[in-house]
Amino acid sequence: MASIELVDASVDIPIYNSRGRSLKTTLLRRVGGQVEADGRDNVKVRALRQINLSLRPGDRLALIGHNGAGKSTLLRVFSGSYEPSSGSAEIRGTVSSLIDMMMGMDPELTGADNIILRGVFVGMSLKQARLAIPEIADFSELGPYLHLPMRTYSSGMLMRLAFAISTTRFPDILLFDEMISFGDAAFSNKARSRVEAMLGKASILALASHDLGALKTYCNRAIMLQQGMIVSEGKVEEVWDRYVNVQRESA
Amino acid sequence: MSLQPSARDWRLASADFVRCFAGWHIWALLGVSDVRQRYKRSRFGQFWITFSMGIFVAGIGVVYGGLFHNDIRTYIPYLAVNMTVWSLISGIMSDGTMTYIEASNYLKQEALPKTAFVMRILVRNLVAFAHNLIIIPIVYILFWVTPSPVALLAIPGLFLILIGTFLSTLALGILCTRFRDLPQIVSNLMQLAFFVTPVMWHIEQLGDRGQYILTFNPFASFLRIVSEPMQGHIPELSAYVSVLVYLALLFLVSWPLFARFRARIVYWL
Repeated sequence: MASIELVDASVDIPIYNSRGRSLKTTLLRRVGGQVEADGRDNVKVRALRQINLSLRPGDRLALIGHNGAGKSTLLRVFSGSYEPSSGSAEIRGTVSSLIDMMMGMDPELTGADNIILRGVFVGMSLKQARLAIPEIADFSELGPYLHLPMRTYSSGMLMRLAFAISTTRFPDILLFDEMISFGDAAFSNKARSRVEAMLGKASILALASHDLGALKTYCNRAIMLQQGMIVSEGKVEEVWDRYVNVQRESA
Repeated sequence: MSLQPSARDWRLASADFVRCFAGWHIWALLGVSDVRQRYKRSRFGQFWITFSMGIFVAGIGVVYGGLFHNDIRTYIPYLAVNMTVWSLISGIMSDGTMTYIEASNYLKQEALPKTAFVMRILVRNLVAFAHNLIIIPIVYILFWVTPSPVALLAIPGLFLILIGTFLSTLALGILCTRFRDLPQIVSNLMQLAFFVTPVMWHIEQLGDRGQYILTFNPFASFLRIVSEPMQGHIPELSAYVSVLVYLALLFLVSWPLFARFRARIVYWL
């Protein structure tokens, strides 16, 4: 059974290549996590601070907050790539993080080669990845381009291929950083039904977005992050209202 | 900050290693496509690896053979074998400094095992090694060297080299991610190591002082256990003993370092 359990999880990212002094002025700015300097001139970004969160099957979590509030970092903690610098994060279940769908793709290789390369990253064996080529080719509608190097693709074609590969496997935990949108209407519909099918199978979803529509459609609970802390928690609409209020106050 | 890994650190480090081998597709594929990508769109493709080695051996062989007053018929096969093995060791050492830095896209997004990227470096260099090996039979035929069954001893030797370079890359990768001056230092030291290791010269040329090289230069011992069998000599027992001692030392340094700082790698990228 999939679950995510964060207890007092903090992420402090040390910045070794900048001097503390010159960065002190940045403490006064509005966006971003808190930047701190310790006695030895080491600067660290406090990206997440003492997050307590428990996600169970059926939870669809909306992450709300301004740029740099810690949404993406929290998604990376959910994916297991950032292990908290203090506190703990226990993640159970297969995770599919659609933060960067192009991860592991190589522009010099053909579309078909990339399906194998990227497929292996999303958890297929070499054989499974090879067998998945026709299905992915069909879904992405790339036709003869599939056997050309990926650098010849338009950005739309790249997105199609990346999306088709990243969504062939249905994970337990699904992470999105902004919902994907496609210009092409026909493909957009196809993509939406694919995402919906994935959501149906996934037991936990976390979606970071600035789009209330998407958050309301897909999520059933929400947290609002500010300077790496959870400042509000509850239903999507309620948390969104708080977010809008906070933004209005600071404007 | 404690340097002592906790029980949880040890457990997660072993889990990382186990997951690395369970998901071998990832690093096998990454390692091979690294080589393919480098030579994509060139006519001879990855056989440029072979050509460069051939050109190097021919050029250096003629000049240094003369310089050291060696018979070219014995010197060139000696040099070809040594260079092939040396380029494997030094290739892994210098690529290893970038292990995690070049994998930062992957590591920041997914919880992939860190050791998989160490294996990727090994695979990439093994593919290059396989291409370099092609010149050995060519050189042997040209200079009428008869291969001996002793050459099979090179296989366990190669295996020991891989264990050694795996352990050193594990540690170097972490240190180089945290201290970005280190890759430069390592590449300088590897250049020096090339000249103080009997790759181009014979250890006998140093006389009694050669013993110091064999004892204190780890590269010399690792080189011997593969290149000597390839030339039909059984390496001395002392070479194996020193390799095993170095492996033990490497393990005692690298594994605790990895256990302690494995989770910090992503923070340093």
